[in-house]
Order: sequence, then structure tokens, then C-alpha cells
Amino acid sequence: MSIALRGIGKQFGEFAAVGDIDLDVPTGALLALLGPSGCGKTTLLRIIAGLEIPDVGQVLFDGRDATLWPIRDRKVGFVFQHYALFRHMSVLENVAFGLKIKPRRERPGTAAIREKAHSLLELVQLGWAGERYPAQLSGGQRQRVALARALAVDPHVLLLDEPFGALDSQVRHELRRWLRRLHDELHFTSIFVTHDQQEAIEVADTIVVLNRGRIVQSGIPGEVYDLPTSAFVHRFLGQVNELPVRLHEGRAHAGPLDISAGAAAASTATTPGATTPAANSVVLIRPHEIEVRPDAVGWPATVLAVRVIGPIVRLELSAEGRPVNEPLEAEISRERYDAERFTIGQRVGLRFRRWQIYPADAVRPAPGGAAV
Amino acid sequence: MMQTLTQTRGPRRRPQLARLLLIVLALAFLGIFLVLPLLAVFVQALAKGVGAYFAAVSDPMAWSAIKLTILVAAVAVPLNLVFGVAAAWAIGKFEFRGKSALITLIDLPFAVSPVIAGLIFVLVFGIHGWFGGCLRMHHIRIVFAVPGIVLATLFVTFPFIARELIPVMQAQGKDNEETALSLGANGWQTFWHVTLPNIRWGLLYGVLLCNARAMGEFGAVSVVSGHIRGMTNTMPLHVEILYNEYNYTAAFAVASLLALLALLTLAGKSVLEWRRPELRRAARKPRDRTRRERT
Repeated sequence: MSIALRGIGKQFGEFAAVGDIDLDVPTGALLALLGPSGCGKTTLLRIIAGLEIPDVGQVLFDGRDATLWPIRDRKVGFVFQHYALFRHMSVLENVAFGLKIKPRRERPGTAAIREKAHSLLELVQLGWAGERYPAQLSGGQRQRVALARALAVDPHVLLLDEPFGALDSQVRHELRRWLRRLHDELHFTSIFVTHDQQEAIEVADTIVVLNRGRIVQSGIPGEVYDLPTSAFVHRFLGQVNELPVRLHEGRAHAGPLDISAGAAAASTATTPGATTPAANSVVLIRPHEIEVRPDAVGWPATVLAVRVIGPIVRLELSAEGRPVNEPLEAEISRERYDAERFTIGQRVGLRFRRWQIYPADAVRPAPGGAAV
Repeated sequence: MMQTLTQTRGPRRRPQLARLLLIVLALAFLGIFLVLPLLAVFVQALAKGVGAYFAAVSDPMAWSAIKLTILVAAVAVPLNLVFGVAAAWAIGKFEFRGKSALITLIDLPFAVSPVIAGLIFVLVFGIHGWFGGCLRMHHIRIVFAVPGIVLATLFVTFPFIARELIPVMQAQGKDNEETALSLGANGWQTFWHVTLPNIRWGLLYGVLLCNARAMGEFGAVSVVSGHIRGMTNTMPLHVEILYNEYNYTAAFAVASLLALLALLTLAGKSVLEWRRPELRRAARKPRDRTRRERT
């Protein structure tokens, strides 16, 4: 089932939770709503589920206006962050609940219900746990029961609210891959909410980034990561180094490095053709886009700390002219580290491979230039 | 092995002494303020033998007081059950204007002295009260009759079930109900299969407390009852009358029935817990808090 949102807005008292939301989710998509807490992503999910009614706008299911449909008519499976299992029912009873409460005409026989619930438990690899109670299961197992329960009523859409938020990282990783596989097998439309950009990039086909109740960018994960259209998205989707842009004789500089190559697009729109970026501009550089050179060519810096994290090595660098308590962060490959052997206190040179300049409140970015 | 045990025990001796002292204190407190009075009731009741006890209990006046007390509880408890669940449901699961005012209102009977509560009904429904003339015209008696006693009891026991359920429902949040709705349940199915099982312990406890108070209420009922023997005397009022007549054995015999009732309800609760092991587990386990974070 395809879902479309048209001009959705919702207030809670004085607080505008979401506004001006337009979104199309094609049938079979796996979409992530990504944003910091308080950005309205859960509200949006609850509006799609029918748990909240929007103040303005329309929710379309397969092109039909579903804005005021009660939740039980929407055929959505909803999975909560804290599982929301019925703790007085066994795991099997939990999964069978949606079938047992169907009106008599539509309800399958007791044996058929049991069989279906059991096969769903097998699907989530919990066939052995049917007689257990939720309190006897681990967090990851409980979330899988919640998924099986949601799937029991053959939903057209699966909505997941921070489904892995309460789990530890190992289990989370496993469940992400498992959700992706399940989605590919069963072909329903899925939307999940997360504040974890890595989770969104890893699992989803499309990510939609929200901030303060608005959609700020959407697209396929790699694209959004590589070409953020605002400083907010750039910062939110990964580590960044942030430097003020200095203007000098019509050229833009970050420290001693000339970054004018990318400055034109960040210039104020009111002065067409100007090459100088607006005042208060910032330049954002991802840690892996900083080149650390042992020959001290470029921006002179001192190595403050070296942290080996498996295949990558993170260096903290105090660049000349920068406050010591605001070091730059660079990431280099393990191979390169093994070749160069940077040590704490060593003098190095920095260059930027890619960067993006954003005027204050910029919407469109300045694509980064080539190496300086 | 023994040696290491005694060695580790050495430095703990003082805390153990403190522990022992605290246990003795707690037990002494329990004994003096709970067990002793309870025992005294039964000892006094049986002081003149089993024959006198049964004679006092089966006295027609006592019997009519027992019947009236049960009648009052049988009306007041179900009404407050319905009201309490409805109020707690509204307060625990929904946001609306005037919510805090409603909570305060529910607490009102706790704050008001029972005597005042009784007087309110005399003022409103008494012969010289607001509706007195109207009621007399239709030959309806409320004050100094059974309806007045029921009304006073309803008022006094008003908060018990709601107060017990509101924190439980608030802590549980709406996730379970919303899940049930998304699985296709209607409102009634959601309430019956999901909400009610989740609150059953709070509900049972609330009903027990409400029932105990409904049967034991003295002040408010005393004002509206008129103390007509065999007509408007409840058990607590009957105990008082017997006591004032220096008929200690009979007074304590009827009192012992009230005490017995309390013990029986507590025993009933224990049996219920014991017979359903998965409930016992659920009751003992801390609830996995369903925290709602709106993002």
C-alpha cells in the first residue's frame, strides 16, 4: 500500500509538533524518519497510524483519504520502542491476539489461529518460546514477539517507533539486518522512526530527515550523506569538523587554507555573481576528508591523541591558530596509520579533500572543491 | 570453610545487632497496634462462651444490621467500581482540560470529615432541606432511611478505587491499548482483554479497601441513619448501641464479625494470588515501565 501525506500539521497546545509535511511512500518502500528527539518524527508516525489526528492536511492510503479512518480500519502494524507486549498473556497468546479478536465471521478456527501464531513465532526464530511470558524474554526477543504480533493480522503497512532504541548495540545490529531481510521477503511498506543516523543509513531505502517539525531533506541514504543540503543535515548524519570561514581579499579561508573553490554557491543570493560567501559562514569537513600529512605541508598541526578503532584510526589534532580545547578530528585507514605511525606530539600538515560551506541558515550547499 | 565464615561474620556483628533491634521493634509495633487489638476483639466476644456469642450474633436486631450492612456494600461497591474505573481511565489515559480539578474533586471525600459528609445529605434531602418538600410530596424518604445510608456510604467510599487505579494506569501509559487498537480490537475488547487484566491487582485492592470502608463506615452513616433498630442500623452503629448499653459481649461479637470479614477478604486475595502462579510472578516483578517519549 502506498502512503502519501499532504500538508500535514499538528499542534500540541502551544507546541507545533509538525508542519507542512508532504511525503510520498511508494508501495514496498522501507523508509526511515530520522531526526533528533523532539523533531516530530514520532508524531508523524502516529499520524500515519491513526493514533493522532492531524490539525491540517491529509493522509492518503493508496490515494484514498484516510485522515479520519480509525486506527483499527487502517491495516497498519505498529511496533513500539518498549515493545508494549501484553504481559498477562503468553507469547503465543500475544501473537494470536489480533486473530482472536476478529469478528466471528472473519475469525479462523482455534487450531488455525494457533498454527498461524506458531508459524509467525518460527519466522522470528522464537518457536520455542510460545508458552513463555514476556517477562521471561530478553529485550531483543520481546521486540521480535512484538513484530510477530503486528504481522499476525497481515498489515499492509508496518510502522516501527524506534524499534531498536532500547536494545544493546550487538542485538540492535542483528535485528536491523533481520528487519531488512524480513522486509525484502514479505514486501510490505515499512516506515520506521529513529534518531540513529547509522541505523537509518544501514536499513532504509529512503531516509527523510526532520528538524523542528519540518522535512529538511529526503533521498536515498548515500546521497543524503554525501550531499547534505543544509548544515543541520550535514552535522546530523555523521561526525563533522566545523570551522568559521574567514574572508580576505575576496578569498575564503579556513585557517590558512584557501577554500574559495567551494565558496561561490554559498554566497548570498542577493548579490548574484559574488564569489565571497556571506558573513557568518561555516565550513564543515567530515573527519575522513581531512588528509593528515607527516611532511607538515598544509595547515600545521600537532597530534593530540591517537585512537585505534578496528579498521579506522581517529586522530585528534590541534591546528595552529585554533583553541587547544577545540581540536580537529581526522579519520585515517588502519593501513595508512600502520605505514605512517603518527605519535602524540608529532607535527603534521592538514589538507581538506572535500568540504562544504554553509551560510548561516543555508538551504543550498556549496559543493566542495578538489584538494587544495 | 567454617573458619572463613566466622571470620567474615566478625566485622558484621554490629549491623546484625541493629538489624535484630529493628526487627524486634517492628514486630513489637505490629503486635501492639495490630495483633493485640484484633485478638482482644475475639477474646471479648467469646468471654462468656460460644453460646452467648451465637446468641448475640443471631439476635434479630443484629441480624437486621448485618443484612443492611451487606445491602449497603452491595450497592455502594459496584457503583464506585464503575465510577472508579471510568475516572481512572479518563485521568490515566487521556489529556483534557480540568483534569487536575477532577483529581482534586475525587479526593474531596478524603478531605471532608465523615460527619460533615453526613450533614450534607441531611441538609440537601432532610425534611427541612433543599429537596425536603419535594421528596415529602412524593412520599420518598432518603434521610433516616436506607437510601440516605447508601448515599452517605457512596460519598465516603468514592475515592478508594479511583485513587488506587490512577497511578497504575498513569504508569502503564497507552502503548498496550494503542497496540490492541492497531491489531483491530474495538474499544470494549481493548478494555476487557488488555486494560482490565493490566489493572486487576490495583482494582482488586481498591475493591477490598472500598468494601471494608463501606461496611465499616460510622460517622457519615451515623448522621443520616437515625439509629432506628432493625430498620436503619448498620453493623458499626449496632456495635456502638450495644456498647453504650454495657452489653460488651454482644458488642464485641458483632465487632468480631466485622473483623472476621476483613481477615477473610485478605485471605481471599492471598488464595487468588497463590492459585495463579503467572499472576504471582507478574505481581512480584517490577512492571516494565512503558515510558512515552514524544519525539
